[in-house]
Amino acid sequence: MRNLLNFLERYSNLIIFLLLESVAFYLITSRSYYHNTKAVNGMKWLTHGVETGFGNVKGYFHLKTVNENLANENTMLRNTVGRLLENDSSSFFPVCDTVYQQTYLYTSARLTGNSVNKQYNFFTINRGTKSGLTPDMAVIADGSAAGVISGCSDNFSIVMSLINLDFRLSARIKSNGYFGSLAWDGKDYRVAILSDIPQHVAVNIGDTIETTGYSAIFPEGIAIGVVSGYEKPGSDFYTIKVLLKTDFRKLHYVDVVANKRKLEFIELENEIQ
Amino acid sequence: MINSILRFGLIFILLVLFQILLFNNIQFSGYVNPYVYILFILLLPVETPAALTLFLSFGIGIIIDLYSGSAGMHAFASTLAGFVRPFVLRSVSPRDGYEPGAQPSMLSYGFRWFFLYSAVITLIHHTALFFIETFSVIDFFSTFLRTGLSAAFSLTFIMIIEFYRKLTAQKSN
Repeated sequence: MRNLLNFLERYSNLIIFLLLESVAFYLITSRSYYHNTKAVNGMKWLTHGVETGFGNVKGYFHLKTVNENLANENTMLRNTVGRLLENDSSSFFPVCDTVYQQTYLYTSARLTGNSVNKQYNFFTINRGTKSGLTPDMAVIADGSAAGVISGCSDNFSIVMSLINLDFRLSARIKSNGYFGSLAWDGKDYRVAILSDIPQHVAVNIGDTIETTGYSAIFPEGIAIGVVSGYEKPGSDFYTIKVLLKTDFRKLHYVDVVANKRKLEFIELENEIQ
Repeated sequence: MINSILRFGLIFILLVLFQILLFNNIQFSGYVNPYVYILFILLLPVETPAALTLFLSFGIGIIIDLYSGSAGMHAFASTLAGFVRPFVLRSVSPRDGYEPGAQPSMLSYGFRWFFLYSAVITLIHHTALFFIETFSVIDFFSTFLRTGLSAAFSLTFIMIIEFYRKLTAQKSN
């Protein structure tokens, strides 16, 4: 007993050190960075005030770009509406059926927190389950892919950014339709890697890379970026560097995409498998 | 005693605010993020009991974690920094030891001493932090580069803050 007490006294600092380190280590592993978003959301009330205040101030510095982007988008939408009106003028749709064949619903959100310099990057947006958001919805910024929601609370959602080592996205080359898998390699926040494109396909620098819509998360044809370089390693596939269209450092407003037919899609897939 | 608790409480709060509001938003080329909050661990008086140092380091780490959403990574790294601090202090101690009540600072022990002392602890802290973040040794050199660059920036900011403290202390005397 005496020896034990002596031992404890002698190594008390080491024991405290190991204890604290194991608490920290437990936090790291059990959260595995984000899966337990409940814990993140639980802490959000602590950090919410500071982050919102800071976000409000920072928002002013980017109003000019945001406005320009909105104006561009408005022009584009007006053109699209004009075209659609022309097409449909001859047919008689029942007026009440406003969501005729609409698969995707969009809602806008503002960022309240963001990171770009980690290996597992996330950002927080100011909408949650109260606005109808659920995990696994796509998030796009200025019409290009930005991330996927990984957890929601009542008023906030945490979005796994495209620049996160765990992020995978089915993507294709717009010009020829060959598709592969897009992932980030953790180095440059502007560049992601597209793999699984066979080497007999012609790839050119400047080719547009877009989403395929195979996963029922992202709509088809959302821009991701352009090819900025490629390598032919020893395998049968290219390693293509994709310069991302979304600048994650300038992200302020995003759109969340809900797929109305996702449930149907997943149920069918599960039935077959 | 009460005085120094208040003093270090203020330093604690100031450094946390600086880190969250300023340094977490400074990012060079996606590689570098200075972590200046460890200055708090560096500045604790030499005679601080080792156990208290550990708890305080863990505390500041976990608060930074809360605000940057990184679940225990900063707590892990800064507890390690707090643990090695007494050993580093002992190995860089001046020839005739520390005076009672001494505080590690540029003012009392000079630029070279403080640089050496903070460089060792910063490097240990950043290495732990970045390797726990990637959680692998696969991209060893890329992580190594991130560690080195970030440590250099953190050190620069720490030295600037410390230099400023030294100047103001000399002026008031």
